[in-house]
Amino acid sequence: MDLNEVIAECLEGKEGAWRMLVDAYSKKVFNMAYQFAGSYEEAEDLTQDIFLKLYHSLSKYDRAKNFTAWLLTLAKNHLIDAYRKTKWEKANRDEFDEHFLSEDAAESPEASLLKEASRKAVWNGLNSLSPENRMAVILRDIQGKSYEDVAEILGLPIGTVKSRINRGRLELAKILGSRKETIHGL
Amino acid sequence: MACDRIEELLASFLEEELGPAERSFVEEHLKTCPSCSLLLAGLREVKGAFHGFPEVEVSEGLKSKLYAIPEEKKSSRFRLKLSLDFLLQPSLQPVFAAATVFMILVSFYVFNPNKKAIDRSIDRNLHLGYSQVEKLYARAGSWADRLKAYKDNFLVSIKEWNLLGGNEDQTLKEEESPWKKRAS
Repeated sequence: MDLNEVIAECLEGKEGAWRMLVDAYSKKVFNMAYQFAGSYEEAEDLTQDIFLKLYHSLSKYDRAKNFTAWLLTLAKNHLIDAYRKTKWEKANRDEFDEHFLSEDAAESPEASLLKEASRKAVWNGLNSLSPENRMAVILRDIQGKSYEDVAEILGLPIGTVKSRINRGRLELAKILGSRKETIHGL
Repeated sequence: MACDRIEELLASFLEEELGPAERSFVEEHLKTCPSCSLLLAGLREVKGAFHGFPEVEVSEGLKSKLYAIPEEKKSSRFRLKLSLDFLLQPSLQPVFAAATVFMILVSFYVFNPNKKAIDRSIDRNLHLGYSQVEKLYARAGSWADRLKAYKDNFLVSIKEWNLLGGNEDQTLKEEESPWKKRAS
């Protein structure tokens, strides 16, 4: 079934269409929320809020536009708003191992351990980025979207998006550098 | 200064998006600057680390909650939640701000130890205000009377002016009844 037909049926109140929409987009939105917030439970609450917003604003969606970009823009706005309201409660992220499984079984144990350590540092370091830079880095580097797609979702020119991603990466690289200095200093 | 410029270019350098001139500028700088080389190594490490972030699966519990959103909307509990959400709307912020200021003023009055002095001052000011209003009202009344007098005078003067030949009838009448003259 065409996406526009699914949306039209959702607006008519057909439950099956809504389920299709949830099946198609819940994973995308949930991962975005989890990578941004860093907490599994919180990501579940945020995803629920985002889908609630989607349900209410589905009638405002312009069918000529890209639905995924529109939904991710809605999700991005909600995530940044929620972060601004309660940022003091988000000092810690979930332990990296808790929900992410390592995919590098072929690597040597030592290399795998080193990679795991830098992944952990990057995962925790995401919290030290500003919400805008963090969102840009997540969309580009974790979700692997093109600069054009990131610019569409964030509603910004490509130059601004590139500069945000660059700043975010540099901050993370500095965090990794200072972590290494601490380890060598011990 | 050069390091700041290099910092801006490093991400593009890593993604091989730089032109030949900028690329050689970065490469030359990296040969002599250990801190920028370390930063480049850090950026490579960050890039590698991001590749190890697989997607997380959505739990069945969350999915069933998402499926139930249209049903939940119909329930009264959901409507109550929405009505409470309505209170968080930014458009209501000025109202809440005004209510807070009002509450502060009221609490300042209620808990002030010199409440009697405030009462007296309020009483005096109310009386002053009332007398001012009375004066204004009286003045407005006199102005209304004066205006009425002006209007009457104006109308009388227009009638007496004989602009529209208003007294012609009277003169004719006087001329047509010579017996009256005689009688007088």
